[in-house]
Amino acid sequence: MTGLTAAVPAGPVPPSALVVTSSTPLWYTTRATGLVALVLLTLSMAFGLLSSVRYQRPAWPRFVTIGLHRNTTLLAVAFTILHVITTAADSFVSIPLQDAVIPFISSYRPLWVGLGAIAFDLMLALTVTSLLRTRMSYRSWRLVHWSAYLCWPVAVLHGLGTGTDTPVRWVLGLTIACVAVIAALTGWRLAYGWPQNAGARLAGALALVLALIAGGAWLVAGPLAPNWAHRSGTPAHVTTGSSTPNPGATGGSR
Amino acid sequence: MSAAGAIRAAGAAGRALPPPPHGLPRLIPPGAPLHLGEHIGRYGPVPFRDTGGRGDRHRSADLISEAERAGLAGRGGAGFPTGRKMRTVAEHGRRTGGLRGQAGTVVVANGAESEPASAKDRLLLTRAPHLVLDGIALAAEAVGATRGYLSVHEGQDELALQLTAMIGERDRYDQNRVPIRVVAVPRGYVASQETALISHLNGGAAKPAFVPPRPFQKGAHGRPTLVQNVETLAHLALIGRFGADWFRALGPAHAPAAGSALITVGGAVTRPGVYEIALGMPIGDLIQRAGGPSERPQAILAGGYFGGWLPYGMALDVPISGAALRSVGAALGPGVLILLPESACGLAETAWIAGYLAGQSAGQCGPCVNGLPALADMIGRLAFGRPDRRTYDWAQDLLGLVTRRGACHLPDGTASFVASSLRTFADELRQHSVAGPCARVRRRPVLPAPGHSWEALR
Amino acid sequence: MSAQILRVNPIACEAHGMCAELLPELIGEDPWGYPIVAAGPVPDELVPLARRAVAACPTLALLLADAD
Repeated sequence: MTGLTAAVPAGPVPPSALVVTSSTPLWYTTRATGLVALVLLTLSMAFGLLSSVRYQRPAWPRFVTIGLHRNTTLLAVAFTILHVITTAADSFVSIPLQDAVIPFISSYRPLWVGLGAIAFDLMLALTVTSLLRTRMSYRSWRLVHWSAYLCWPVAVLHGLGTGTDTPVRWVLGLTIACVAVIAALTGWRLAYGWPQNAGARLAGALALVLALIAGGAWLVAGPLAPNWAHRSGTPAHVTTGSSTPNPGATGGSR
Repeated sequence: MSAAGAIRAAGAAGRALPPPPHGLPRLIPPGAPLHLGEHIGRYGPVPFRDTGGRGDRHRSADLISEAERAGLAGRGGAGFPTGRKMRTVAEHGRRTGGLRGQAGTVVVANGAESEPASAKDRLLLTRAPHLVLDGIALAAEAVGATRGYLSVHEGQDELALQLTAMIGERDRYDQNRVPIRVVAVPRGYVASQETALISHLNGGAAKPAFVPPRPFQKGAHGRPTLVQNVETLAHLALIGRFGADWFRALGPAHAPAAGSALITVGGAVTRPGVYEIALGMPIGDLIQRAGGPSERPQAILAGGYFGGWLPYGMALDVPISGAALRSVGAALGPGVLILLPESACGLAETAWIAGYLAGQSAGQCGPCVNGLPALADMIGRLAFGRPDRRTYDWAQDLLGLVTRRGACHLPDGTASFVASSLRTFADELRQHSVAGPCARVRRRPVLPAPGHSWEALR
Repeated sequence: MSAQILRVNPIACEAHGMCAELLPELIGEDPWGYPIVAAGPVPDELVPLARRAVAACPTLALLLADAD
């Protein structure tokens, strides 16, 4: 990955660089599983939205949409669990397992890792309630399921804020594509069945537009602006400490 | 006589009952309503099990068996056998027993009649409320209930206050034995349906619920609940005193259902009103009692808006009973007979009421929400436009599409009502298809439909 | 083995239509997308498919019950 290449300075490599290299496969896996989980979560959300607008074609019956929704969610959960495990196993930065379920207690970018914990907790709640759907009241299940509208954007923000690959063009492009797909489908969902619940639909549309604008503004001023690693709460020893070969703050720094 | 005096007198008479009413009327005596003292003087105190005395054959310890033997059927419209219903509630109560061995079931007396053309429940509650309250008390004892409710319509505040005062007075003389509360129910054709009533009592909307569980399994406050029309309970109050044999002395000898019933006669009759008849009486006899038709009659709607149209001549001989009316495509329902004069158009009246019923949908079930307006629209075209084969066929399809596909019987009842109109007014249909709508469609409707707009229909 | 029947809770049903897609042998659709279920017991060979249709309903409106 481009990030890691930039982390290796030209010139003599200090012995401590070996420490970094040995944690590299885990770091790769964490970032890879994170991205894959995001894409799967986006697909899951997309299939859920398609289901709510009763999308259907002669070769695409509705049970296909709902089946894909359920399967991609399970895959997203699997990849998120892998993501959590590799993060905890990675000794380069201390992010133990509890940081993945209890928000904001992490020493590493507490807010942004914390958002990941929130998204993960919500994913677990959504999945468990759906697996136990027949044993609970439909109203309770539906209430919990609404939190999907919170879970997905929080996961995206977690990825953009915690992820070290955010400035990388294809990663950024992929994330923006995911956001575009969900934004478009959410717009469709809001328009479907108009004018019932007109007030709620208009409020939702307004919230969507504001969220996109705010998100875009934050992206430009935050992760894409210089020194994000420091501003987001990366512990000092990681960015400038002895155990890192990368004293700079260019893209790819932890 | 005061209530205290009446009870003393009853005690002095060794708890023997006053003589049973002979013939009619049974439920609503002529004159002003009896207050508690007069009521007890006339009928005796409520015959709870522990108040039995000698020479008292009819005061059976088992009211449920007596109700079964009497063949008493619900008078709210469905006509379900009352004894069987009570037995089921009692059994479920025992099986799911509450504290201290109490079944803890609930009795709900439904006095919120939602059939626009029916007036009997209101009459009963204003002219013979103590009979209804006796019925609640006796039913409560029989099914192991620990509380009772009496439903009236929202807006009937004066009636509700009067009933509450009467309940309080009865409490003082141990004539209730369970707490009875008067509750107001929103007006609406389906709002006083059994499960809608329960839903309202449980704090929800007055809309029908999906069954199972039925009220006799799980109803008010989660307990097995007996829901009965107020007239049914009034009959029960008399059966509890005078027995099943006395009850059956009126009505057809070997029929499953017998006794007397309150029938609201309306439309083009000389003396519209509520009449108490012996079940099995021919429709023609009742119309004569009501003074005969006020205009040249065309047809009779029997059973209210879930009932059916009958051609006038053919209807006269039909006995007024659930079985007989069902066999000719109508119903007894809540005991409503409406005469349609020749100056009205049966198809227009049907379209008018079909539109009203479609608007009364609780809005919960797709086939009803979609199917009933479509059906009303089709009948409207048959009545006010030029009926063609396609419209007629689509209407027939709709009849099948809505039947038994809702949570309550609104779609079924509307469908059978409309189907009966297509049968009975087939000649009108033919004339309309040749010459367009007749002049009679323009007159004001005979059938009542509160809140429904005539102008909007056409 | 007791016979089983399919029922629809018309209040919960929101015409998603998955039951009709998964079990066309027994479930059709009315003009507004709501299910029309064939009367009578579910044939033994279709019971697993019926169970799948019941699980697929997003609002749990389709029910498989013992015929009683």
